Amino acid sequence: MYLIPRELVIGGVYFPPLLIASMFGIAAAGATAHLLNRYRLSRFFAYPPLVLLALSVIYTIVIGTFLIRG
Amino acid sequence: MVIAYDIALWMDWDRPHWAGFAVAFISLATVGQSLNKGVMRMLGTLVSAVVALTFISLFPQDRWLFILIFSVYIGFCTYMMGGAKLQYFWFVCGFVTVIICMDAGPNSIDAFQTALLRVEESGLGILVYSLVAMLLWPNSTSADFDTATRNLASTQHQLYRLYLDHLHGQGNVEEEQTLRAKEFEEQIRFSEFLDAAETDSYEVWELRQQWRFYRCQVADLTETMERWRQSFAEVEVLNLKHLLPNLGVFCTELEGRLAEIERMLDNQAPQTFIKLINLNQNESRARRLSHFHKAALTVTLTQLQHMDQVSRNLFETIQDIKGFGSPSTETAKACMPQAGLMVDTDRLAAASGVMATLWLAYLAFIYVNDIPGGTVIVTMATVLGMAMSTMPHIPIVLLFIPAVISVLFAGILYIFLMPQLTSFIGLGSMIFVVTFVICYLFAAPKQALGRAFGLAMFVTIISVSNQQTYSFLSVANTALMLLPIFVILSITAHVPFSPKPERAFLRLLGRFFRSCEYLLSTMRWDPTRTPTVLDRRRKAFHTREVATLPQKLITWSSAIDTKTLRNTTPLQVQAVVTSLEELSFRLHELLEARDKPQADFLVQELLEDIRAWRLRIQRMFQRMSEDPTLGRQKAFRSKLTEIMEHLEQRIEETMDKAAEGQICDKDGENFYRLLGAFRGVSEALVEFAKHANAIDWVRLREARF
Repeated sequence: MYLIPRELVIGGVYFPPLLIASMFGIAAAGATAHLLNRYRLSRFFAYPPLVLLALSVIYTIVIGTFLIRG
Repeated sequence: MVIAYDIALWMDWDRPHWAGFAVAFISLATVGQSLNKGVMRMLGTLVSAVVALTFISLFPQDRWLFILIFSVYIGFCTYMMGGAKLQYFWFVCGFVTVIICMDAGPNSIDAFQTALLRVEESGLGILVYSLVAMLLWPNSTSADFDTATRNLASTQHQLYRLYLDHLHGQGNVEEEQTLRAKEFEEQIRFSEFLDAAETDSYEVWELRQQWRFYRCQVADLTETMERWRQSFAEVEVLNLKHLLPNLGVFCTELEGRLAEIERMLDNQAPQTFIKLINLNQNESRARRLSHFHKAALTVTLTQLQHMDQVSRNLFETIQDIKGFGSPSTETAKACMPQAGLMVDTDRLAAASGVMATLWLAYLAFIYVNDIPGGTVIVTMATVLGMAMSTMPHIPIVLLFIPAVISVLFAGILYIFLMPQLTSFIGLGSMIFVVTFVICYLFAAPKQALGRAFGLAMFVTIISVSNQQTYSFLSVANTALMLLPIFVILSITAHVPFSPKPERAFLRLLGRFFRSCEYLLSTMRWDPTRTPTVLDRRRKAFHTREVATLPQKLITWSSAIDTKTLRNTTPLQVQAVVTSLEELSFRLHELLEARDKPQADFLVQELLEDIRAWRLRIQRMFQRMSEDPTLGRQKAFRSKLTEIMEHLEQRIEETMDKAAEGQICDKDGENFYRLLGAFRGVSEALVEFAKHANAIDWVRLREARF
């Protein structure tokens, strides 16, 4: 169990893991929204912008927990 | 830009990039346009300096009262930006106040100096650009203005000829549509160049009253020709050659006037002068027509007579301007619309959005520890919010990519190139090349926002000063600052209404029909009783809604992604909006006709029938305001035919009953105008239903990301 977050180093520049995870999370949410639009599944949501926000948060947590660990 | 930077650095002024900003944002295609913008920027900066210092001195220890009053002021500036005049002035009034207040607000000791520095450096930028534009590249607006005026006159002439062919059954609807769009664009260009030419051309300034009157008349001719075209469907069954024996001569005379206007604009003396032709109708033949045909004929006749008046005014004004005739006595004031103080809900929504953006950014600055950018986040979010408020149909996401590219580009220059520069020659060359490249790559008017963003980011990130320092952290912070800014802008764009074009289109459509319904309901008002102030204000509000909403719908409809709508093309969506424009004109005509005095005898006899018709149309509007798909062309057409047949019979009976002299000629004309206007509204509704049937409303309504 790490209590101090580990930072990512890209070319000597330190990036917080949450930043990277959130960037991937937003990108993944955008891709999912695109697919939902493509297959007309977005019509089943009452308010898609809120769904996009929720997806971004979910993806960020998942990526942050399993792929880019802090 | 290089000279402005050089002077600011030589004077050892802090933040020389403010001078650079002024140059970057006032530069336009011609000297006149740039000077106009420069004057507005200078005046706006002066006003902002006073306002900002007043706010800071009034609330030095109370941040909540400060932000409350400050946000109301920013909301007011955003509201005023949406008006027809001085948009840039109000924009500068708003964003410069934000810059000074956010720069000096947290530490008010330097407030006065910051405000003065801003005024000095904006003045320097404007002065340098004006001198360079006037002395080195004196690109006057006169030539562009002359070309724009000639092009507009030529397009109106061509359109008139096309409409004449249409009237004679040889119309080309697609060509008409293309020319109408061209005319619309040319009218905007002409108006812009006129404003600029008044500044940089003494000849235009001297004759500005005549040119402004000409502008009003050109707009009037466009509207009248459009109304005339819309009435063709109702008169195509009539033999106009027999009913209006001198129609051919009359139309040739109008065409001759338009041709002579073009000739005079080419600085050639007119070959023929105005001939007054009275467009008389053949009374004996007109008497044999059905009442609805008589009504259609009266409407067409009124429009042709108005076109006669407008073309005469245009001819005389150009004759006066070009020195081929006696001075015209008409002035622009005669045709200025008297709008009065009227609330525009869309502008109000935009102002509320910007106020919410300011509040969210301010709260983030106060409550989020070490937020990247600090007060700059409040400044940038508010300025961007204000800039975006004038084009709500552009999604926020589209701005994100240019913003990231701008930061990367400026960051590379700042980190890798600038430390290698040792003198102002090198720095000046870099500023010159980068400014040139950005302005060259983003030269098109559609790319204006990208250009502004690129230049703003470049100037902000390189942050030139006499004691130049370099820090990677400042670039990284600026890049990180974009994230919360875009999150705030996205939130305010989505609350309370979705900014998706499809949603906005449906919302505006509902508003349009609601206003139509209200306006029709005002027809029950007793003409002998003066309505209350509140009633008059409400009527004026809805009249303006009906007149302006079709234009707003055009903007939103162009942003709809028709690929997501099955079998619906952009042209079909455009046709729906055009039919709404027609409905708007027709309703306006109906209200005008309603205000004319009517014969008591006719009113008493036909009151119930006309009322029933009005109520029926009102119900249709009411239903369509809830659901525009409810309009069925066949059902509307059959109802209209039924009403018309019934009314025809009732009018016949009433006319038979009327005693000699009970209905004078004027009464008859007014009655036929009213009848024609009622029919016009009904026909326009049928037309809307026809075009609306082609749209895939189910998919248009579907929720999308």
